[in-house]
Amino acid sequence: MSVETAAPAPVHPAGADNRIVVDGATLTWRDLPELTLPEPVAALAHSARYALAAARHHAVHGTELLLSTASRVDAAMRAELRDAGFAVTELDAPTAGDATAPAARAAEPGRLWLLTSGSTGRPKRVGHTLESLTTVRGQQPARTWLCPYAPGTYAWWQVVTLSLTQPGQHLVVVEPDQLDDWPALAAEHGVDAASGTPTFWRRALHRDPAGLARVPLRQLTLGGEPVDQTILDRLREVFPAARISWIYASSEVGAAIVVHDGRAGFPVDWLDRAAPGRPTIGVRDGELVITSPYHGAGLDGPVRTGDRAQVSGDRVLITGRLDADEINVGGSKVSAGVVRDVLTAHPQVAWARVTGRRAPLLGHMVVAEVVPTAGAKLDEATLVRWCADQLPEYAVPRRIRVLTEIPVKETLKSDV
Amino acid sequence: MKELSRAQIRDLMGEVLKNQGKALPADDAADLREVGFRSLDFSELALRVEDATGEELNFDAPGLRRIATVGDVLDFLVELQRQ
Repeated sequence: MSVETAAPAPVHPAGADNRIVVDGATLTWRDLPELTLPEPVAALAHSARYALAAARHHAVHGTELLLSTASRVDAAMRAELRDAGFAVTELDAPTAGDATAPAARAAEPGRLWLLTSGSTGRPKRVGHTLESLTTVRGQQPARTWLCPYAPGTYAWWQVVTLSLTQPGQHLVVVEPDQLDDWPALAAEHGVDAASGTPTFWRRALHRDPAGLARVPLRQLTLGGEPVDQTILDRLREVFPAARISWIYASSEVGAAIVVHDGRAGFPVDWLDRAAPGRPTIGVRDGELVITSPYHGAGLDGPVRTGDRAQVSGDRVLITGRLDADEINVGGSKVSAGVVRDVLTAHPQVAWARVTGRRAPLLGHMVVAEVVPTAGAKLDEATLVRWCADQLPEYAVPRRIRVLTEIPVKETLKSDV
Repeated sequence: MKELSRAQIRDLMGEVLKNQGKALPADDAADLREVGFRSLDFSELALRVEDATGEELNFDAPGLRRIATVGDVLDFLVELQRQ
C-alpha cells in the first residue's frame, strides 16, 4: 500500500472547523480573512474579526506577534514598539500599515506578546507562546463560549486558544457596543459557557436578570478581579445546575488557581504544595506569590503578584491589589476588599467600590460607591448600619455615594 | 468659594449622628462625649463640609484647641472654612 503525499499545505490548528459568530456573521476559523503580516509584527485590530484572523495566522505560521486593539496603543507606545523591532500594522484600517521602519532584529518564531492591562502605569510587554497561553487541555465537553474580552488581552487569549486548539469549542464574540446586551446575543446563538469578570457578571445581573437566565449556560467562569461569595451565590440562584468556576490568572503567571466548588477563595491546603507541571501557590507577608509553569518569558521562579491574600478559616481569600486594598484609618488597617464584600452581601446592593479618602484627624477614612439592585431604594444610613453590624467602627464607610450604573472599563474590570 | 453657615454645618452634624443612630441636642453646650460624637464622626463631618463646599479644609492652619462641646465643633469648622 502506498500513500500519496500532496504538496505541504498550511497546517490548520485542531479547532479550525469550530463555529465563530463575529460581527453578525457565522463562520469558522478557516473562513477568516487571510492576512499577510511582516515579522515581528505589532498587529493593531479595529475589529474582532481581524483580531481572530491574526490569532489564526499565528497558529498556522508561528509569526512573532503582538496583538492589541488599536485604541490601546497610543503614539508613544507605537514608537516604543518600533524601537523594539516591531512593524506596527493596523489590520483593518483604511490606511493600513505604518511607513516608519522598525529597528532591525531577527524574529523569534512562535513568540506571542501581550500588553498587560497597565493598571499600575504604562502597559508592558509580557512574552508568551500559544503553548503557554493554552491552559485548558485534555478532552472537554463541546461548548459554545462567549468571548466578551478586548482582543489581545490575556483573558481573550484564554478563550481564543481554547477554540483554536480544541474541536467542539465554538466562539460567540461580543463587540464592544454589544456589551450591555450580550445575553440576547448569547441566547440567540446557544452560548452555554461564558467567562467574565465579577463586574461583567454583576452588570448582567443588574441590567436584566431574566434576560441572563435565558442564556442556556452550563459553565460560568469568573476571573480578573477578586471573586466574593455573594456574586457566586447570586449566579448560582440563576443557574442552579451549571458549573461555576473562578480562576486566578494573569499575563505574568498564567492560569494559576482554578476553583470549581462554588466557594470564594481556595482551600488552605493548596498552599505551598509542589506538584510537577502545576503552579505552586504561597502567601508571603500577606501577598500572593506564585511559581508557575505557564509564566511569561523571563518570569520563572516565584512571582510576587501584588495581590493581597489572607487565610480565613479553611480558605485563602484574595481581596484585591495590595497597593490599593489597604486603607489606614488613624493607625487601624482596613482591607477595602473585605468592606466591599460586606457591602455587596447586602441584598439590595448590585455592586460596590471601596476606597480610602484623605480625612482630617485620621489620615484616611473609608468611603464607598454602590449601585442598588433594580428597583431598590437605598440610602446611606441603611448601608452604614448594615456595615456597622459586621465591621469594626473604623472600617465602616462613612460617605457612601449611590450610583445608577455599574462603571466598567475595556478590561471589564471596574476596581483595579 | 461657597461657605457653609454655622446652621448648615449643624444640620450636617445632625446627619452624621443620625446615621450612627444618635441625636444631636439643641444645646450648643452639650458635651461631645455625652452626645457620642467621636473622632470618626468629626472626620466624617469635615468630609461632608468639603463635599458641600467643593473645597478641601486645611486642618494645619489653626492652632490646636480644645474641642469639647457641639458649639466648639461648629465654631472650629466655621473658622476653618475661612483659612
